[in-house]
Amino acid sequence: MKRYVMGIDFGSTTAKTVILDLKGKRVAHAVAHMGAVSGDGVKASIKMALDQAGLTQADMGRTVSTGYGRRMLDMADKNYTEITCHARGAVAMVPGARLVIDIGGQDSKVIAVDDNGLVAQFAMNDRCAAGTGKFLEVLARAVEVDLDKLGELALGAREKLKISSMCATFAETEVISLLAEGHPKTDVMGAVHAAIAARTLGLVGRVGKKGPVVMTGGVARNPAAVHYIEQALDMPLILPELPQIAGALGAALIGLDDYRAEYKHQITEAEDMAREEQMAEDKACIPGCRGVPELAVDPREKQPAPRAGGLKSLLSTLQNNL
Amino acid sequence: MDRQDIIGRFAEAAQDPLGYAKAWKARTGRQVIGSFPMNFPGELAHAAGALPMILQESDEAITVGHGVLFPFYCGYTRSMVDQAARGRFEVLDAIMFGDHCVQLLGMADAIRMKLPGTRVIFFQLISSMNDPWTQGRSEESFAKLRQELEEFLGRPVEDAVIRESTRLFNSNRRLLRRLYEMRKEGTAPLTSVEMQHIVKSSMIMDKAEHTALAEKLVAGFENGTAAPSRGLRLHLSGHFCQAPKPELLAMIEECGVTVVGDDLFHGFRYISTDVPEEGDPIAALARWYMDRNTGVPCPTRVQNNVDWDAFLLKAMREERADGMIVLMAKFCEPHMYYYPEVKEAFEKADMPHLLIETEHEGMALESLKTRVETFVEIVKRREAALA
Repeated sequence: MKRYVMGIDFGSTTAKTVILDLKGKRVAHAVAHMGAVSGDGVKASIKMALDQAGLTQADMGRTVSTGYGRRMLDMADKNYTEITCHARGAVAMVPGARLVIDIGGQDSKVIAVDDNGLVAQFAMNDRCAAGTGKFLEVLARAVEVDLDKLGELALGAREKLKISSMCATFAETEVISLLAEGHPKTDVMGAVHAAIAARTLGLVGRVGKKGPVVMTGGVARNPAAVHYIEQALDMPLILPELPQIAGALGAALIGLDDYRAEYKHQITEAEDMAREEQMAEDKACIPGCRGVPELAVDPREKQPAPRAGGLKSLLSTLQNNL
Repeated sequence: MDRQDIIGRFAEAAQDPLGYAKAWKARTGRQVIGSFPMNFPGELAHAAGALPMILQESDEAITVGHGVLFPFYCGYTRSMVDQAARGRFEVLDAIMFGDHCVQLLGMADAIRMKLPGTRVIFFQLISSMNDPWTQGRSEESFAKLRQELEEFLGRPVEDAVIRESTRLFNSNRRLLRRLYEMRKEGTAPLTSVEMQHIVKSSMIMDKAEHTALAEKLVAGFENGTAAPSRGLRLHLSGHFCQAPKPELLAMIEECGVTVVGDDLFHGFRYISTDVPEEGDPIAALARWYMDRNTGVPCPTRVQNNVDWDAFLLKAMREERADGMIVLMAKFCEPHMYYYPEVKEAFEKADMPHLLIETEHEGMALESLKTRVETFVEIVKRREAALA
C-alpha cells in the first residue's frame, strides 16, 4: 500500500497540484500558470509539488484530476468535475460551509452543500465567460492595469457607475466609453466588480442563499471581487488560506476516499502491531498485566519482539526459509 | 439487411426529412402533406393516399427567417419559418396547422405569408381534455379535417381506408413501443441517438416501409440476452415539438449515463397511444387524441385529473431510473410554465433531476458536459452515501 495521493486541478489558466498523506494531511501543493490547454503548465505544477514533498509519481496510491483539462491527464486514475472537487475541497478547508462560490478562469459556479458535505445543488455560467477571471483579464487589459493590481484599484472607487453588459467584449466597449467620458479608472473598475457581484448573486439565487459561504478559485484573491460579492450577498465570505487549490485538494481527498475504500482490508505493519497490542491488553485478566502467550512485550522496546515459538516467530522463520 | 443498415436507413430519413419526401414523391407521384407536431392524425392523410410527415426543425442557422419572426419565439418555430422563407418546403403540397401553442399560431401566420401558394389546412385542437363536450368537439374537428383533406385531394377518404391506415399506424407504434420495452429490459441496448432516428423517421417515412424495417429490427432483438446497464440509469424528459440535437444526446451518454426511458415527443410520447380500431374511425381518432394525454401527459393540454410529474415519477420507478434530465427548449412556454410543478414534485420525492435549457443556435457542449458529469457524480455519491 502506498502512502500518498495526488489531486490535480487542470484549470484553464492555472494548474494546481496537491499531495496528501493517508491521514489527509497536506504534504505539498503547487500552482503553475500556463498557456491555453498547456500540458507544460500542468507538468510543472506536478513536478513542483513532487519536488516539494521529495516524492515521485510512483509514490502516489491514487491520482485524481479535475478542471477544464481533467480528461487529458494520462496519469490520473479517475477524474471528477470541478464542481464536485471544489465542494469537497472547500468543505475540508472550512468545515460546516454550506455554500461555495468558485470563480475561476473561465467559469463561475455556486455550489450548495448538504449536511454530509455532498453537493446538493449547483449553478454555473453556461452561456458566456462574463463574470469570470477571463472577464477581469480582458478588462484589465482595456484599462492597462496589471491584473494583480486590479482589485486594489477597484477598492478605491468613489462614484457608483454601472456596467450593464454581461458579455466580456461588450463590457470592454462600455468600459472604454466610460473612460472616454472622463470617469476615473478606479470608478470604472468598481463598476466592473459590482457587475461580477450581481452575476454571482444571480447564481446564488438559483441554488438558494445560505451560509457559511466560502469563496474559492483564483478570483478569491481579488479583494474588490470579495468586497462587492459580500456587499451583494449581505453576508461575509470565508476565504480559505489557499483558495486556488480547493479543487486540487478536493480531488486529492476524493482519491484518498477511493484508495482507503480499496485497501480497507489491508493495514500497515505498525497498525497490525498496535491492534495485537490492544488485543493483548483487552485479554489481560489483571489491569496492566500483559500475560498473553503470543506476545512478550518489553516496554523498553519500540517494537515487541516475537516470542520464540509464537505465531509471528513461526511465520518469520517460514518467510526466511522461502 | 442487418441491424445497422436498418438504423442507417432510419437515420437518413431523420437527418434529411425533406430529401426523403422529395424522393418518395418522385417515386410515387403522390402528394406530400406536412404537419405540425404534436397531435396531428397522420392516419387521415395516409388514408387519403398522401405522405403525412411531421415537419422538423432544421439544424441550419436561422437567416432570413429573422426578418419574419421575433427571436423570442422558440427554435422550432423560427427554424420552420426560416425554412419556409428559404424555399425549403417546395416539396409540400399542403401543410396542416394545429393550434396547441400560441407560438405555433404565430409561426402558421408567418408561413402562410411566406408560402401563399401552398394550401394551408387549419386544424383546431381542444385543449380542455376532460369536459363533457371534449370528445364531441374533437370529433367535429377531426371530421372537418377529413372534409378539408377530401376537398384538397379531390377524392373521398373512406371509413374502411381510414381503419386500414389506423391498423398500420398502430402496428408501427406497437413495434416501436416493443423496442422501448426491450431497451428498458436491456435486451435492445439502443443509444438515445439511435432511438431518436427510429422514432423521428417514423414521423417522416412511408408508414408501410418504416413498419417493414421496424419489424426486422424488433425481430433481431427478440430473445436477446439482457445486458446489465453499465451507466447511471436516467430518464429523459421534455422537448416537445423539436428533436433534441443528437450531439447533446450522445454527450449525455458519454458521461456514464444509460438512458432507460423518455417522454420526449421524438421518443415515447409520439408512439405512446394507439387509435381504437373498431367503430367510427373519426370518433376513434378523437378518443386517441384524448387518451394520448392520459398515456403521456402534455403541458399544452389542460386535464385536472392528470399530472405530468406523477406520471414521470411512476415511469421512473418502473424503469428503475436513478434520476432524470429535463431537456427544455428555450422559450417553450408550456414547458416553462409546467416545470416548477415537476421540480417541486421531484424535490418532494427526493428524486434527483437536472434541467438543461437547449437552443436552436447550439450550446456550449463542454460546459454542459461538466454539468451532466457533476449530476452523475452527485447521484452516484448520494447513492453510495445511502448504501
